[in-house]
Amino acid sequence: MKNKNMPSYIIAIILAVIFIYPLYILILIAFEPISLTFDRLYPYQLPFIFTLKNFEASIKDLSLIKPVIRSIIVAFTVGILAIALATPAGYGLNKLAARFSNKIIMLMFVVNMMPAIVIAIPISVYFIKVGLYNNIFGIALAQELVVLPISVFIMLGGFRALPQDIENQAMVDGASIFHSFRNVILPLIKIPLLISFLLAWMTSWDEFTYAVIISPVNPTFPVSLYDYVSRGEPFIASSFALLVTIPVIVIVVVLQKYLKGEYLSGGMKI
Amino acid sequence: MHRYRNYRYMVYVLPALAYVAVLSFFPAASVVFYSFKTPRGVYSISNYEAISKAGLLTSIGNTVIVSFGALLIQLFFAILIANILIKSLKGNKLFSTIFILPYGISTVVSAFIFSLIFSPVGGFANSTLYSLGIHSVDWYSTKYSSMGVVMFADFWKNTPLVALILMGGMSTIPPSLNEAASVDGAGSLRRFIHITLPNLAPFIAIALLIRGVSEFNIFALPLILIGYHPSLINTLVYEYFIYSSTTYYSYAAASVLLAIIVVFAFIIIKFGGAKQYEK
Repeated sequence: MKNKNMPSYIIAIILAVIFIYPLYILILIAFEPISLTFDRLYPYQLPFIFTLKNFEASIKDLSLIKPVIRSIIVAFTVGILAIALATPAGYGLNKLAARFSNKIIMLMFVVNMMPAIVIAIPISVYFIKVGLYNNIFGIALAQELVVLPISVFIMLGGFRALPQDIENQAMVDGASIFHSFRNVILPLIKIPLLISFLLAWMTSWDEFTYAVIISPVNPTFPVSLYDYVSRGEPFIASSFALLVTIPVIVIVVVLQKYLKGEYLSGGMKI
Repeated sequence: MHRYRNYRYMVYVLPALAYVAVLSFFPAASVVFYSFKTPRGVYSISNYEAISKAGLLTSIGNTVIVSFGALLIQLFFAILIANILIKSLKGNKLFSTIFILPYGISTVVSAFIFSLIFSPVGGFANSTLYSLGIHSVDWYSTKYSSMGVVMFADFWKNTPLVALILMGGMSTIPPSLNEAASVDGAGSLRRFIHITLPNLAPFIAIALLIRGVSEFNIFALPLILIGYHPSLINTLVYEYFIYSSTTYYSYAAASVLLAIIVVFAFIIIKFGGAKQYEK
């Protein structure tokens, strides 16, 4: 029995090392003195010498705090907007005939397949005119396109899972539309709401194409990280690269149970 | 009456639909329209002629190589991972957490890490080789090695996603199938070829198509790792957008990209997607 599983273990461990190594490097450059990493032709990888100097230096450098704050605002805006648009859409699609709602979902996924750069360039030209260029809300509005189809799909799934008559029953019992939504439906769609919000938040936190084209002067964190790398000053950004990664890793590990292929594959069901 | 009640619910869907139409279809259409306009205000195909002389075909070729290469690597390792995780091995919870981690690292941070690992001077990969007593390598010395670096970074970042999709597929295969074949004397390789693969095929198709579209749109990784050379379609569009005096060339290149994706999306809906949306 033991021998039978040996090959699996060996492959799993080799793959685990490949998957963890880049993360180890990310932690290493954040905590090891620069004299041992960036300043050397052959940087040290072991032993690990711990210092907080890099963190102190990057926190003093205000030029990176602003992009991180922008990223946070944009990610929350995208998440809230996703819920605000996708909840009614999911509700409505659930009531429509299936062949009709399936067509609409499909249409939204076709939109999702459109290359971001193709849409971002004309949008940026348009945003210059209306004052949304170099503006965090301009980024949020554009990034919403990436997350909206998946949010609608998740919310539709949430509403489909509800018992059909639950709304009518609440109405019969005398609840107003508002009350039946707040007290009966909302508690039942909490999980889909949370998943769409977090996925939208994560996608925005990660998004680069729209951000770099629509707001190059007031960049979000991914764009300013790119700026530092292309200017050849990666060490300043190294501790921040780790900092911005932590919340997303936490979300992924928490959501692991819900991160089914179905959501991630863009809602294509098999 | 019933029909009327049904369509009334369109009202709830309209905001999301309008959002997508205004911010996506309209801009995409305008890209195609203006791609035929020249700086002198005449409509012709001269922009397309100019960019194809400037190496558009090479970019398309490079993008195809990177996309297919990265897809094959991802698929191979995703099948491997799904095969391991589906067994109830001790420590599988830990392995599945490790294998999903790259999904949580943002694309730009991944590109940043790999740019440090594969840096020709002071890179961590070379430092590892050095401590093993092997000569340093210039990872960007040829066009193909540069694209290899992009593919490797892409493999690392996106294999978890493919593995998750395939895991979903594997869990639909009844264990009794494998047990029966095992009793009949089929080895693990034969069981994989004759039971797992055929049952997994639709999931593999979906994963390939979904990732295929994203692979073709690959942008941040190559931009950070290899810059504009060798160029991929997306970095080419961006280069025209940033460095040329008019937007028309970038519009023309973007239209080519759009055309490729539309054809690809059409294939998905025609052969893979339409069935999948039936409830």
